[in-house]
Amino acid sequence: MKSETAVPVKDMPKTDPRMKLIAAKLKKESFKPDALIEILHTAQNAYGYLPKEVLSYITKALHLPPSRVYSTVTFYHFFSLKSKGEHTCLVCTGTACYVKGAQAILNEIERGLGLKAGQVTADNKLGVQVARCIGACGLAPAVVLDDEVQAKVTPEEIVQKINAKIGTL
Amino acid sequence: MNTIPIIIDEKKLEVDPGKTILEVCRENEIEILTMCHLKGVLDIGACRLCLVEIEGINKLLSACTTKVAANMIIRTNTDRIKKYQRITTELFFAERNHVCAVCVANGKCELQDLGYKVGLDHIRYPHLFPQCEVDTSHPWYVMDHNRCIMCTRCVRVCNEVEGAHNWDVMNRGHQVRVISDFNSPWGESVTCTSCGKCLHACPTGAIWPKAIVQGQLQKNPGMINELVEKRKMKL
Ligand code: SF4
Ligand code: SF4
Ligand code: FES
Ligand code: FES
Repeated sequence: MKSETAVPVKDMPKTDPRMKLIAAKLKKESFKPDALIEILHTAQNAYGYLPKEVLSYITKALHLPPSRVYSTVTFYHFFSLKSKGEHTCLVCTGTACYVKGAQAILNEIERGLGLKAGQVTADNKLGVQVARCIGACGLAPAVVLDDEVQAKVTPEEIVQKINAKIGTL
Repeated sequence: MNTIPIIIDEKKLEVDPGKTILEVCRENEIEILTMCHLKGVLDIGACRLCLVEIEGINKLLSACTTKVAANMIIRTNTDRIKKYQRITTELFFAERNHVCAVCVANGKCELQDLGYKVGLDHIRYPHLFPQCEVDTSHPWYVMDHNRCIMCTRCVRVCNEVEGAHNWDVMNRGHQVRVISDFNSPWGESVTCTSCGKCLHACPTGAIWPKAIVQGQLQKNPGMINELVEKRKMKL
């Protein structure tokens, strides 16, 4: 048997603001295993889905059996294990980002790419999601393109970057 | 301890309160069919095979999770109960892919025995024929989901007795499956201790050891309760 398949807690990308949100939530809940669902909610809201590494991190932090966590995740429709689309664009619509123009970003994405929040392109190349505050308010308006946080973006910039990623136009 | 009077199938009995109907029946050699029950682990009333009639209660109740109460009048073998036993058994066979003739557990299977017991000669429900995986990644054991009846005896034994909690159940409805860790191959489990208890707990040919010759499968589900009792003794 392989000794370790999961990413050790200390190796989690500390720079990812979304991870910091989860870490803060774990602390707030005093690492109680009972708080699993609340913590999964935080993670789902921050990422738009539950990446494997994030699940391993939460599992270890709460000292829960992995199968128990997986069982919970697959029981509720609210949680998803896969990102929608090969590339993901997560637009933060938390208060700070909203004030700084999150809606304009969503509008431009819809205008330029024909995608609304929650939708995926027909070829599954791109999925657009929204999240409530990803913990990077200082960078508002913030968008996470795949795994990279894009700080203080303009609507045009973000559509350009997306096009570069998915290779259209 | 004070005993309480109950009647099972017209038989008057004095029994200890706190026991389940199933426990009392087993002590008194009254047959109750069971599948998810395994002595030594918690009862969950999942399979609905052990249903009994209780006078004054319209619903059928599961004997494994219902405690006896004073003056209960219980019936275990009415036509209504037999009808449900038959339906439950047919559904077990219709839900996954059971082909006894090529199964390692042929002749040593609790599900097969149940089929004979309820006189199963055909199945009235459409077979679902789901696509099921056979996980051979563990060095010693195989998990064949085609033959799993979702009794969760393996899940409970691994959690409650071994304390490893390798297994759990994912999804809902027809999509439910027993999973190892993050629905990963059993051989990659970071929690399984390879103790083999789940294999003995499993009533069908779903979990079996690689090192056997066809028809030579030996399972010992009674070992689970013996272990539990011996652990309590602390000699
Ligand atoms: S072999 Fe033991 S530890 Fe491994 S899954 Fe089975 S019961 Fe659990
Ligand atoms: S693998 Fe065996 S013990 Fe586990 S749920 Fe399936 S039939 Fe029951
Ligand atoms: S509101 Fe967008 S990062 Fe906080
Ligand atoms: S044995 Fe009682 S419900 Fe399964």
